[in-house]
Amino acid sequence: MSPVVAVEPQLMSEDLSADLASTALVLARRYQAGATLWVLSPEWEPHAHHVAVEFVHPVIMGKRALPAFALTGADAVGEARLASRPGDVILVIAAAGDPRAREVVRRAPAWGADTIWIGFGERPRPGSADHVLWVDSDDPMVPATGRFVLLYHLLWELTHVCFEHPGLLVPPAADCTDEVCITCSDEGRLGEVVLAPEEPFAPAIVRTATGEEEVDVTVIGDVSPGDLVLVHAGAALVRLEEDGR
Amino acid sequence: MTDFLYPFIEAQEDDPEALLADLAASARAKAAESAALQESSLRELESTIQACATAMAGRFARGGRLYTFGNGGSSTDAATLASLFAHPAAGRPLPAWSLTADQAVVTALGNDVGFELIFSRQVIAHSKPVDMVAAMSASGSSDDLVTALAEARRRDLLTIGFAGYDGGRMGELAAAGELDYCFTIGSQSIHRIQESQARVAHRLWQLTQEQLSTQRRTSPVTTPGGAR
Repeated sequence: MSPVVAVEPQLMSEDLSADLASTALVLARRYQAGATLWVLSPEWEPHAHHVAVEFVHPVIMGKRALPAFALTGADAVGEARLASRPGDVILVIAAAGDPRAREVVRRAPAWGADTIWIGFGERPRPGSADHVLWVDSDDPMVPATGRFVLLYHLLWELTHVCFEHPGLLVPPAADCTDEVCITCSDEGRLGEVVLAPEEPFAPAIVRTATGEEEVDVTVIGDVSPGDLVLVHAGAALVRLEEDGR
Repeated sequence: MTDFLYPFIEAQEDDPEALLADLAASARAKAAESAALQESSLRELESTIQACATAMAGRFARGGRLYTFGNGGSSTDAATLASLFAHPAAGRPLPAWSLTADQAVVTALGNDVGFELIFSRQVIAHSKPVDMVAAMSASGSSDDLVTALAEARRRDLLTIGFAGYDGGRMGELAAAGELDYCFTIGSQSIHRIQESQARVAHRLWQLTQEQLSTQRRTSPVTTPGGAR
C-alpha cells in the first residue's frame, strides 16, 4: 500500500501568489467595466462549471453575482470566438499541451479578450496567455487533487477583495489613446479573418480587438475565414502560421 | 497632507502596489490553511478511506457501478470524482457517473416530483445492490443528497458521504450506522472544505486502484473496462 501522500506544505509559492494577485486585479477591473468571464476546461469540464457557479452564485452571502459561463461544447475555439466580446475575459483550465487551449489563447487578442490560463506541467511559452496561474507538477492526476480548485477559489476570493478598493478598479491610463501614437503605429494588431474578399483587390472583413473592419489583403494574397493576420494601417502585412510556429 | 498619512483611503486610492501585496499575502495564508487542513484530514480519515476503498474495490470487482452527486460547486467536485474513476490518466478505468450530468433527467425530476428527489429517483431507476453512491456536500445536510443516500441504503448500495462543518445530517446518519462511510472535513469555510474533499476523494481513488491491483491476483475482474 502506498503511504499517505503528504500534501505539499507549500501549495502557493511567492511567484504564484503574485500572479494570482495581479490576475485578480485585472479580472476585477474587467468586471467593473462590464466583462463576462468565459471558462473552458476541455479535459476536465467540471472545473469550468465550478468556476461559473462560484462567480454567478457566491458561497458568501452578500457578494456580487458576476457573469460567468462554462463553455463545454465540442468546438472550444468556435464557442469562445462566438461568445467573447471586446473587454471580456477567457479562463482556460488545461495542460500546456492542450491544442484547444493553445488555439483559444492564441486567437483571443483578435477578439479583444484577456486570457487567464490555469494548468500544470510544462509552462506555456511566455506570452501565450495574458495571465498564467501554474501548478509546477507533471503528475497527470493534478487536476483531480484539488490544486485547481484552490487556485480558482482564491481567484474568486481575491477578485472580490478588489471590489472593496474602487479607486483601483479604473485601469491606469493607456500609454496611447489616439491614432497618431508613435508606439502603436509601429505595431501590427492581431486580426482574425471573418470574410475573405468577394473579388480580387476588394478588402477582407477582419476582426480585431476593436471590432470588425475592412482590411486590404493584397500583400498576403488569398485569405480564408479563421486566418490570423497582423493588421497595420488598414492592411494585412503578415499571415501567422499554425500555432505561431 | 492627510493623503500622505493615509494614502489608501477609499476612492482616492490610486497605487495598486499595496493592494497587490495584500492579495498575494492573503493567497499564501489561505493556501497554507488549505494545505494544513488537507494534511490533517488525510491523517484523521486514512483508516476510513482505506476501509471504504477496500469495500469499493470489492464491488467494482463484482461489476458494481459508482454514482456521484452534489449541488452547486459540490456537484462539479462530484463530477470530477466520477471522472477520476472513469477516465484516470493512469490506472484502470472504472464505471462511474455523475447524476447531475443529464440536464433532461435532472430538470424533469425537479419539475415533476420536486428538487429533493432529483437524485433518489435516479438511484431507484439506475441502481443494483452491488452499486455505490458518493454524495458530496459542504454542509452535509442537503435534502436531495440525504434522501438519495437513504434510498441507496434501502437498496443495499454502498453509501459514501463527504461533508464539512460538524458533518450535518450525514454525520448523524453515520453515527446512527445508516451511512457506510462519512468523510467530514472539520472546517467552517466552504472553499477550504471543498479543497480537502477533493484531496480525500483523490486518496480514495488511489487506494481503490491499489486494492483492485491486489485483488486481481486472486480473482478475475469482471468490470467493464477492467481488461485494460
